[in-house]
Amino acid sequence: MTNSINEISGAEVILVIGSNTTEQHPLISHQLIKAVKNGSKLIVADPRKTQMAKLAGLYLSLKPGSDVALLNGMMNYIISEGLYDKQFVETRTEGFEELKKAVADCTPQKASQITGIPAEQIIQAAKTYAGSKKSSIVYCMGVTQHTTGVDNVMSCANLAMLTGNIGKESTGVNPLRGQSNVQGACDMGGLPNVFTGYQAVNNDELRQKFEKAWGVTLSPKPGLTATQMIECAHDGRVKAMYIMGENPMVSDPDSNHTEKSLKKLEFLVVQDIFLTETAKLAHVVLPGVSPAEKDGTFSNTERRVQRIRKAIDPVGNSKPDWQIICELSTQCGYKMDYASPEEIMKEIAKLTPSYGGISYGRLENGGLFWPCPTPEHPGTPYLHKDKFARGLGKFMPITYKQPVELPDGDYPFMLTTGRTGFHYHTGTMTRRVPVLNREVPGSYVEISKGDATKLGIRNGAMMKVSSRRGQIVVKARVVDTIQEGLVFIPFHFAEAAANRLTAANLDPVAKIPEYKVCAVKLERN
Amino acid sequence: MSEMKIISKDKLADFLKALNGDHEVIVPSIENGTLIMGTMGSVKMETGFNGRPLISPKEYFFPQREKIFTFNAKDSKNVDIKEHTNTAKRVIWGVRPCDLYAIKTMDTIFMSNYVDTYYKARRDNTVVMGLNCNEPCATCFCDSWNTGPFAHDAFDVLFTDLGDKYLVNVGSEKGKKAVAKSAKLFSAATDADKAGSDNLEKKSKQAFKRSIRSSDVKKKLPASWDDKLWNEEALPCILCGGCNFVCPTCHCFNIEDIVEGANVSTRIRYWDSCQLGGFTQMAAENTREHQSERLRQRIFHKCFYTANKYNGVPGCTGCGRCIEVCPADIDITHILGRVTSK
Repeated sequence: MTNSINEISGAEVILVIGSNTTEQHPLISHQLIKAVKNGSKLIVADPRKTQMAKLAGLYLSLKPGSDVALLNGMMNYIISEGLYDKQFVETRTEGFEELKKAVADCTPQKASQITGIPAEQIIQAAKTYAGSKKSSIVYCMGVTQHTTGVDNVMSCANLAMLTGNIGKESTGVNPLRGQSNVQGACDMGGLPNVFTGYQAVNNDELRQKFEKAWGVTLSPKPGLTATQMIECAHDGRVKAMYIMGENPMVSDPDSNHTEKSLKKLEFLVVQDIFLTETAKLAHVVLPGVSPAEKDGTFSNTERRVQRIRKAIDPVGNSKPDWQIICELSTQCGYKMDYASPEEIMKEIAKLTPSYGGISYGRLENGGLFWPCPTPEHPGTPYLHKDKFARGLGKFMPITYKQPVELPDGDYPFMLTTGRTGFHYHTGTMTRRVPVLNREVPGSYVEISKGDATKLGIRNGAMMKVSSRRGQIVVKARVVDTIQEGLVFIPFHFAEAAANRLTAANLDPVAKIPEYKVCAVKLERN
Repeated sequence: MSEMKIISKDKLADFLKALNGDHEVIVPSIENGTLIMGTMGSVKMETGFNGRPLISPKEYFFPQREKIFTFNAKDSKNVDIKEHTNTAKRVIWGVRPCDLYAIKTMDTIFMSNYVDTYYKARRDNTVVMGLNCNEPCATCFCDSWNTGPFAHDAFDVLFTDLGDKYLVNVGSEKGKKAVAKSAKLFSAATDADKAGSDNLEKKSKQAFKRSIRSSDVKKKLPASWDDKLWNEEALPCILCGGCNFVCPTCHCFNIEDIVEGANVSTRIRYWDSCQLGGFTQMAAENTREHQSERLRQRIFHKCFYTANKYNGVPGCTGCGRCIEVCPADIDITHILGRVTSK
């Protein structure tokens, strides 16, 4: 997020796009609800009429994967009506002419044809968003989980820069990260191309810094993304994998393919707190610990680094992840003998400019927002004040591309996947909680009333849902909150995994799969 | 009711320590800026605080999760059942009037028609010592229900903060025994002390930021049944159940058998929430399918059904916890305001 969570309620206009906020980020939805109660204007764009959409003054029911068309349509109107922030564009950005050209064809009428949103609603959204100097964008996986995920994100950034709505309090572009420490994992270089703090492995100077600190030679070549690893396991280029705290058997697209790929590995190690579907395939399972059993830090979606503290001793033979990694590394011939997570944080601060001023002592009173380069630096609740990281903000000329697999005669429905508020990711933890299972005991398919009538099915009917890759049997949930022709299945449930159906079509840059769009057919089971 | 006494503030710890031998003494404490209750000795006792802890003292009588019995079926005719009743002795000091009245309500629910032995065992072995509120907190409205800011019954011992000393009011045999144990720490209260307390009560009553018209609530709530307000107010609810869990009178629980071995299981119970859809889910239908119906149920139960069923005991004591905890800003005083303004 370019802003901190508490700033959200201070925005005058908030565009929420591709985020089921009340179910997936309930405490952030609290800020949105507060904003609405204080008179802020809320615009929600989502193919499903989510609870957030019901709270919005303007709800845009867009077709899955048409985000670029919506955002370009808004920008087209903003530019042609002269509603953009000319001073901001002149002094803080570059590439405006290219952007203008890219969106020139995408009139609100054209955008309406692609998105399914009435043109006047696109115009109203554009006017409202551009009409305030305190507008904010909140987005989540409805934006990113597409083959155009990067394009969608860049279009959000284009819109914010075009209207000068970034670099101020309550005003910016705010992707919501899910897992408690997923931001921290990325910050720590849990990506194939960077060391900690997004320092590129192919930058000689930066790489040499790490080589010197660790006394080793490091590869300048970026590695593979998680989705590429599965592909490489399938064709034999990857022979061993070490998976920590992740359950790709349920969470990766095209599970049947994932299963084949993982089974081809010569050696699979899984480190988790429960014996997940993926751990069951492993040659070695290493028991990790839950958050209650370890010390350390979590870096959350607002870039706030916070302490977590051990409440109970590790259960059984389990160990904190850092200890397992240190012991493994030592066994492999590189001695790691940190005494505590605090000692590791000292090394992080030494090697990572954005964490340079972070130390355990300074985290006692609610944590620090990175960038925090020096021990005196107060941290940075919002980004891009006065200047972008690269200097001028660069507009990216982007045009609409349709999703890869669209419905056709054989598979006439579009499937979009997501989550419910009562389960977390692949259900490894939440499906062990009886009350949560009582609320949502298993998988289901949301289908519109119109489609249910056409198929002659009632609420609760068992449906066979199939795609070109697999099939599952789930209960129908007939709702009035989803577009006709579109169905929704949550992916938490291994026994009827939505990802048996999804396709591993990847964004060419980020390699994120298009979980939000594939084609399926529905039959009564 | 009984004679009033005085204890100097610096002697309070001695009084409680004298009970510590055969009782666990629960006291207020401030941890990372948050008011909590904890065991004297393991937490630092705090006496100079306003407001009440977010988690109500009901957990000491009706824990969030408790084992109720273990059964061991040796064979079909031979089943051993071992009940887990907890008879450990406890003193809780610093219970606010809203919570004193809530305990009274819980006593009525758990011990009048059907006696819940697990609740009763804990309740019988606990001495409840109240502390009047010289200042209301931001979300509370006990004054409107007559359940605060000062208590007039429902305590074993009641303390009023008079600056460097407490006015002490003994309200039961249990309380009398506790005070008698350290009789020399107490002196008789003067008329000036009592007048000081009355004065504090008056001042506290004037400081409330929230209020409801309680007599109108009872009259007008039934007519609101079909009002659109339930839909509107329930719209932002995210189904976290927080309102139920912090409520000092919410008492619904779920039951589960935990299988521990081939023949051994333990039955547990834990707090449940009427705001969750699964709470009223039947095989085919849900009797309260929509969130508006579930919110309405909570408000009717708190503000209408309990008092009707149990001779006027309050279902809501105006502690304001549900307002404070709600991530969707659902506010019972706002809802009751809408109900009574019709």
